[in-house]
Amino acid sequence: MLSDREISEDRIPVSSLLACGAVHHHLVARAKRTRIGIVIETGEAREVHHHCLLVGYGADAINPYLAFEALWQARRDGMLEGTELTTDAAIVAAYRKGVAKGMLKVMAKMGISTLQSYKGAQIFEALGLGSDIIDRCFAGTASRLQGVNFAVLEEEASRRHKLAFAISAATNILALPNPGEFHWRSTGERHAWEPSTIADLQSAARENNQSAYDRFAARANTEARVGCTLRGLLRFKDDVEPAPLEEVQPAAEIVKHFCTGAMSFGSISAEAHEGLAVAMNRLGGKSNTGEGGEDPERFNPLPNGDSKRSAIKQIASGRFGVTIWYLANADELQIKISQGAKPGEGGELPGRKVDETIARIRYSTPGVGLISPPPHHDIYSIEDLAQLIHDLKNANPSARVSVKLVAEVGVGTVAAGVAKAHADHILISGDTGGTGASPLTSIKHAGMPWEIGIAETHQTLVMNDLRSRVILQTDGGMKTGRDVVIAAILGAEEMGFSTAPLIALGCIMMRKCHLNTCPVGIATQDPVLRKKFSGDPEHVVNYLFMVAEDARRIMAKLGVRSLDELIGRVDLLAPDAAIRHWKTDGLDLSPILSPVQKPHPGVEVRCTQRQDHGLEKALDNRLLELAEPALSNRERVVAELDIVNTNRTVGTILSHNLVKRWGADGLPVDSIHFKFNGSAGQSFGAFLARGITLELEGDSNDYVGKGLSGGRLIIYPPRESTFEAGDNIIIGNVALYGATSGRAFFRGRAAERFCVRNSGARAVVEGVGDHGCEYMTGGRVVILGPTGLNFAAGMSGGIAYVWDPEHVFADKCNLGTVDLDPVEQDEDIVELLDLLELHTQYTDSTVAAAVLDAWPEVAAQFVKVMPTDYKRVLAERKQHDEEMEGTVHELRTLDASVFVRR
Amino acid sequence: MGKPTGFLEHRRKNVAYREPEQRLQDFREIFTAPDASHLRNQAARCMDCGVPFCQADSGCPIDNLIPEWNDMVYQDRWRPALERLHKTNNFPEFTGRTCPAPCEGACVLGIIEPAVTIKNIENAIIDRGFEEGWVTPNIPKKPTGKTVAVVGSGPAGLTAADQLNLAGHTVTVYERTDRIGGLLMYGIPNMKLDKAVVDRRVGLLRDAGIKFVTNADVGNNVDAEQLRSEHDAVLLATGATLPRDLDVPGRQLDGVHFAMDFLTKNTASLLDSELADGNYIDAKDKRVIVIGGGDTGTDCIGTALRHGCKSMLNLELLDEPPADRAEDNPWPEWPLIMRTDYGHEESAARFGQDPRRYSVLSKEFVDDGRGRVKGLRIVDLEWTKVDGRWQMREIPGSDQVLEADLVLLAMGFLGPEAYLADALGLDRDASSNYRAKHGEFATSQAGVFAAGDCRRGQSLVVWGINEGRGAARAIDIYLTGSSTLPAPKIDMGVAAG
Repeated sequence: MLSDREISEDRIPVSSLLACGAVHHHLVARAKRTRIGIVIETGEAREVHHHCLLVGYGADAINPYLAFEALWQARRDGMLEGTELTTDAAIVAAYRKGVAKGMLKVMAKMGISTLQSYKGAQIFEALGLGSDIIDRCFAGTASRLQGVNFAVLEEEASRRHKLAFAISAATNILALPNPGEFHWRSTGERHAWEPSTIADLQSAARENNQSAYDRFAARANTEARVGCTLRGLLRFKDDVEPAPLEEVQPAAEIVKHFCTGAMSFGSISAEAHEGLAVAMNRLGGKSNTGEGGEDPERFNPLPNGDSKRSAIKQIASGRFGVTIWYLANADELQIKISQGAKPGEGGELPGRKVDETIARIRYSTPGVGLISPPPHHDIYSIEDLAQLIHDLKNANPSARVSVKLVAEVGVGTVAAGVAKAHADHILISGDTGGTGASPLTSIKHAGMPWEIGIAETHQTLVMNDLRSRVILQTDGGMKTGRDVVIAAILGAEEMGFSTAPLIALGCIMMRKCHLNTCPVGIATQDPVLRKKFSGDPEHVVNYLFMVAEDARRIMAKLGVRSLDELIGRVDLLAPDAAIRHWKTDGLDLSPILSPVQKPHPGVEVRCTQRQDHGLEKALDNRLLELAEPALSNRERVVAELDIVNTNRTVGTILSHNLVKRWGADGLPVDSIHFKFNGSAGQSFGAFLARGITLELEGDSNDYVGKGLSGGRLIIYPPRESTFEAGDNIIIGNVALYGATSGRAFFRGRAAERFCVRNSGARAVVEGVGDHGCEYMTGGRVVILGPTGLNFAAGMSGGIAYVWDPEHVFADKCNLGTVDLDPVEQDEDIVELLDLLELHTQYTDSTVAAAVLDAWPEVAAQFVKVMPTDYKRVLAERKQHDEEMEGTVHELRTLDASVFVRR
Repeated sequence: MGKPTGFLEHRRKNVAYREPEQRLQDFREIFTAPDASHLRNQAARCMDCGVPFCQADSGCPIDNLIPEWNDMVYQDRWRPALERLHKTNNFPEFTGRTCPAPCEGACVLGIIEPAVTIKNIENAIIDRGFEEGWVTPNIPKKPTGKTVAVVGSGPAGLTAADQLNLAGHTVTVYERTDRIGGLLMYGIPNMKLDKAVVDRRVGLLRDAGIKFVTNADVGNNVDAEQLRSEHDAVLLATGATLPRDLDVPGRQLDGVHFAMDFLTKNTASLLDSELADGNYIDAKDKRVIVIGGGDTGTDCIGTALRHGCKSMLNLELLDEPPADRAEDNPWPEWPLIMRTDYGHEESAARFGQDPRRYSVLSKEFVDDGRGRVKGLRIVDLEWTKVDGRWQMREIPGSDQVLEADLVLLAMGFLGPEAYLADALGLDRDASSNYRAKHGEFATSQAGVFAAGDCRRGQSLVVWGINEGRGAARAIDIYLTGSSTLPAPKIDMGVAAG
């Protein structure tokens, strides 16, 4: 047991984490660790992160006695009145529960399921710890820039001790200081955004006021220097030949390298989201949809020439609103693997922010919170990622495909894989950004500075001669021209800004984004508060132009005439020896500043060529030829072709061309009907548009109907096959992942993860593997056979009908968010029978035919899997409609038809 | 922010003043006592900002922990609120009554709605503390044996004395008038800050061990060098007491007075004899003109009205400020807007109209032939902005003589008086203030420090507290080599970082 209870006027405690790590590693080194448990009794552990660290470095049990005592005191002081925490024991139980939940969340991010696997796993990267500490206490942990030694930690400990035991009434110990860790305080720790930078930026942006910008930039750069960022520790070399300012690339060109960050419509208001889009379109930069989809109305330019269309369409794990129309209206398709400020986590949108509009655009249920799953269900390997990149390229051949990664140790290697997987663009996202809605543990303790990430990525890509094929972007707390220039020097062609443009639009860093109470109408969907929004796209334009001019002036001083020329020029940077802080002495910035090693002299250090996506080999080229009468003249097309499993992503380029020609609605159902014979490769019918039917006699690999967008899929075994179709797998994993509309009929079973995140497609299948209908938010699924485990986990909308004659389904279903109801209501029966009849008709399913024959006797063998939230919303809607005597219903129908016509 | 949606549910409502006609009958405080539920609702409006501008540069100069104590008031936890409040503010009962509240000008809620009533809440916390007996003398634990003389007993001097005493030094405060409090005692009239409130705090300081000497005018009837030699350190906190004069013909006439003479004599007579001794400048039945549109001008208006003046006019050189923020005066800057203070309200109640008149330049005091003022010749001005700077122009033919029996000059202060600086041989800056850097507070003479208006020029009570705290820390370091005294922008709690 390691304890710090005996702290006193003359006893200073050693950090419990250092002690834990040191003892753990010592015992491991002597092969005795498994014979003994380590119990930590400490006043330090308070937050989730502290517990994670202690367990991650070997603790078997923790007694956070001071956290308990502080909470007990809070109860005695009346701070917990009105809660259920009426005893000390209840407080302990609640605290333990909270910490356990938080740790579970952290473990989930890291892909770890059990505490046993997490214990001692030390899944951490250190920033600013020297090797003496790492070797002794955290052996094996990456600490790329070195940093403080034991002497510095000792000094810190003794300073803290002095504070606690200073004999002076003047320190007024009755009221402990607020160190301003989570909210800025004038006497607290430094934050990248503080009042003067916010006020000056707003002044600069609103009035196009250069002197306000200069004050802002000076302050932001100084704050960075005195302790907020790594780039603050760098200086530009001054022994270079400057260039005349007029020879430097104009600001209007520089701003084209700027993007805004992926903040979803939902997390921020329509006013703010559209404001960013309009601003970036005026600049020729790029705004980002975020992961929440985009209202198709925004794809149409405004009469004044502005456009609210986001150039970057994000594809995140939730796949909200990712339709073929959405993908077709993009210049860049960004696959969000991870978020810089909260790696491993998906976006979270609390239910109170999901109003009717947002639910419509996300294809989800109003009032129901949305949590994006940590992984993409179609990416479990780099090959899977390559497939998704290929799918997206097919969905929009003119858009570049980007992959968003986070700065962390090893990101260079990951990026090299991503470049080989044919990404056109890679974003390395840093730790400093992040929404106010992120969990505090993530805001404070997750992610790494982009300076390390972009430098490592650039170096690795050059060393492997992959750099010339991809454009690199970085983001995370970009504010000034200085930031832009340093990002370029470390390897980035493009820079992303998120918080700063929001501040230009009026954000005042309220940090209430999760409460829907943003008083300036940005991070809220409350109609009253949205009216308070006072931003204007011009504010963002003004600000980013000033950043570009700022960057120009620095480039002139550095004798560099364009951003492209700047890339990789680490010779222009040096550690700033003038910055002396007693804690920065041990830092070693050479990993960032090392000149890159070229494998041979001809290697390019920036993007100079395009990836070869191999689209010319696609079967779709043939399909386009065949479908020409339909594409040009809406004539019906029917054709039959052979298919083999090297034909990947069949029907997707065709879908792209169809919606490009005929818009979101595509063509009438079955306008184009292709019958294939053989084994289809991956992503058969991905993002298939309305109007196309793909009929396949044979079988198909993974990702059938991924992102299905109104098209129809029919798959059945060869007519001559003799096996029982309903007992055999006919399609691979992850079918209909992220489908938004359309229909699919599979005579046979699907493998795992069927219909994950389906939000509108109707499907019939004759059995599924594990995780069926996970995170589903809409649509209908009929399963005429056995299911695997964990069915309906996290499902919040839509309905699944499962035929369960053996009554084994209930054990396999995850009942966290769903009820299992009988199929009794007329509308359910009509819907189910309708789908069964179509299934029989299209696939000759004997299973469906048998069920229909036995109806209504078999009705009782069906289970209706009904999400509780969905049930509640439907009931509310029904009641509301009845109250409004049908008028609302008519209006809604009208609305829907207007929407469809668009 | 006990309540995240409080700002959407409650509108700003200030604690009311007593009705003008009623309060004009006496010199008692203008405030009414707020009820707890009112304050709770007002505190609920605080949004607990991620970046609380109320304590930023443009907000509270002494880092008042406003979001914290707002929340505590909402939770009905008044005692912890008081502890938080006293952590940064030695005298909340002074700022709670007199501060113009830059915190409210910077309040983030002010972007979309009227700001939180921070000042009312502050005042309620400290008043409650006194009522409950929670405010007790801060008696130091260990004396250091060092002695400090504080010259001047205004906000800066008293604050520094309080802090230095806490640190264990032996403190003596020297005050040139007959009562302790400086500007708090004689500058601000009783209706805005009851002198019993000042005395109550001085009593606490005395009980904590601070010695006070009145009628001790250092550099005049007390030898400055001797004082310096008898103490380990000297802090000058003498204020900016030299008034700006109006150098126009007729200035010497009877009936033309500096505002501060008018106010000081009134308070002295009020405290000595309830105005029975007649030792004050009486505005009764007089036509009064107050020149200057600041707080002191307002105080003159309120005082003259209480005397029973016949008419009231308040002249201001500058243009009338806008009703809302001008474009070049964005949040979180102090809003330069039209404000109606208690004196204006009272004058309007008595005479039916606001007493203020803007864009007026005073040209001459008119003699009644017997050496008394009988009028003021003025001219109207036109203000225009040329290259971003305001320029004034007299409007030809707008000359006018305004009748007046009493003219009060409330046009601000130039700086400290010269005699103490001369006696100690202190450097002064271009504005005639004692030269010392904020944060260091050391004058050109070793062991002599300066804080407050005598160092920074005329300012607010809260800036006096800021400087008093800062100077105390600087003196503590000077005397002992280090300090655990907190000061604005320096918090002991994060020093470890």
